Amino acid sequence: MTVNTWIVVAGDPAIGDLIDTARSLGGEVTAAVVGPRPVADTVAAGGVDKVIWFGEPGDAPVEAYATAVADAIAAAPGVVLGSGGPGGRVLLGAAAARLQAPALTGASSVSLDGADVVVKRSVFGGIAEETVAVSGPVVLVLDGGSVPAATGSAPVEEIASVPLGMTVVQTKPSEFEEVDLGAAVRVVGIGRGLKTKKDLALIDGLAGASDAEVACSRPLAEGMDWLGKDRYIGVSGQNISPELYFAIGISGQLQHMVGVRGAKTIVAINSDPNAPVFTEADYGLVGDLYQIVPALTDALK
Amino acid sequence: MKIVVAYKWAPNPQDATVGAAGAVDWSRAKPAISEYDPVAVELARELADATGGEVIGLTAGAKGVDATMARKAALSRRFDRAVIVADDSLQGAGSTELAAVLAAAVRHIGDVDLVITGDSSVDVGGKMVPTVLAGQLGWPAVAEVSAVTGGAGSVRVERAIAGGTQVLEISGPAVLAASTDAAVPRLPGMKDILAATKKPVQTLTVAELGVPATGSTVTVKGTSRPDLKARKGQMIDAKDPAAAAAELVAALRGTGAL
Repeated sequence: MTVNTWIVVAGDPAIGDLIDTARSLGGEVTAAVVGPRPVADTVAAGGVDKVIWFGEPGDAPVEAYATAVADAIAAAPGVVLGSGGPGGRVLLGAAAARLQAPALTGASSVSLDGADVVVKRSVFGGIAEETVAVSGPVVLVLDGGSVPAATGSAPVEEIASVPLGMTVVQTKPSEFEEVDLGAAVRVVGIGRGLKTKKDLALIDGLAGASDAEVACSRPLAEGMDWLGKDRYIGVSGQNISPELYFAIGISGQLQHMVGVRGAKTIVAINSDPNAPVFTEADYGLVGDLYQIVPALTDALK
Repeated sequence: MKIVVAYKWAPNPQDATVGAAGAVDWSRAKPAISEYDPVAVELARELADATGGEVIGLTAGAKGVDATMARKAALSRRFDRAVIVADDSLQGAGSTELAAVLAAAVRHIGDVDLVITGDSSVDVGGKMVPTVLAGQLGWPAVAEVSAVTGGAGSVRVERAIAGGTQVLEISGPAVLAASTDAAVPRLPGMKDILAATKKPVQTLTVAELGVPATGSTVTVKGTSRPDLKARKGQMIDAKDPAAAAAELVAALRGTGAL
């Protein structure tokens, strides 16, 4: 059995992992691309069989093409893959609604059993894994991966579409520097054990000495606004798999740990010996981060 | 302006346990108004008050969503009234089924200008219900919304994008998923809790709504505990921070982590 697959591209051609998953299902792979023409061209070169492109968006956001994407997919339903950014979720949600198909998140594997699509996925904030078999169309919200290398040249078909009534009237840059935590080899995560914002200098020092990116638990990025939202690790934030992760002043609640379980080595530093973070750490140091972090920074120099 | 806030009565997985055989035990996880939903209520209330509108709480789920506790918890929030679809056929319903029921209820309520939801539910956390709901209604949807202004038929929303924020103008009805910190929700006081019993509630069943049939069959083959990496669990005595740091750095260099 093979199954035809759609890949929904919401303006970002970083869909390498989606192409791999689609290819593993064996059927024809069609990309539905929303965004400027160069995005469609990059996708067309990346190893799909066909690209459907919805035209130059102008000042329309990707979400404005939700109905157009759903219409295109409904004409030839199959497995629909897409990445889970805010724009992607809107396009995938429209497709799921049109097909009345389940929209499944957190998949770690996708395979075929006869005509059924078998999905193993993380559920309930990561406390369990569930295996489901879907008979009929299904929408899978996955990590996109990286931009695929140019290996082919699939035809690009432009479809005339009328975007929904929404326009971008202003774009403002963030006050925080952007970061790609997913690409970081080492990450220093800081939590509520840090007393003041200016103490971030201590954490920056350790990050500098260990050639790491700085990340945080949710309260520091949302609510306290000490760090940008793209630095927050957890079930609804970033999920990372670095070589080394320092969890500093982080108690280790499930919602945070789910985001770092892929790390090869975890070091926990916390003043509470009973903090759950120690149960998921390779190395644990119980003590005051204000003493341990500077000592560690010195030892790394 | 007529604003619907779709909320969920759900337990926190942090309080659930997963047995060795993989069964999820929710018995010690008490349901509550889902973590981020009060943010959506606050955002809706501020907009409704600015435009002289109404805020309607809407939820769908198994019968428990209409229990006294659940009603009280919802109505002590800043809703004007509530519409509750309580139907045991919705036990364990997926995002698409739930969104289809919510969409049918929004149509049933009629003349809705805006549906606002929280960022994600505390139990499932898929962030898909608002976008599938918009798809069911054929309305525009925007997620990660941090601010909303305007009135019936035309709203201006600010939303987070990679590296910044964007302001969008939307004409006609829309579904907005609020970012987790879009507003600071008020905790209900004694007055709110007392007023809750006086707010009108309409209960509906799935049969009354005319919900489209699902297009696929989902069969759960099993659940299991996640495969966690085996960790060393080595504790390093940190009474002498310098010595502990040296020991840690040596260990990390030894395994190639540094």
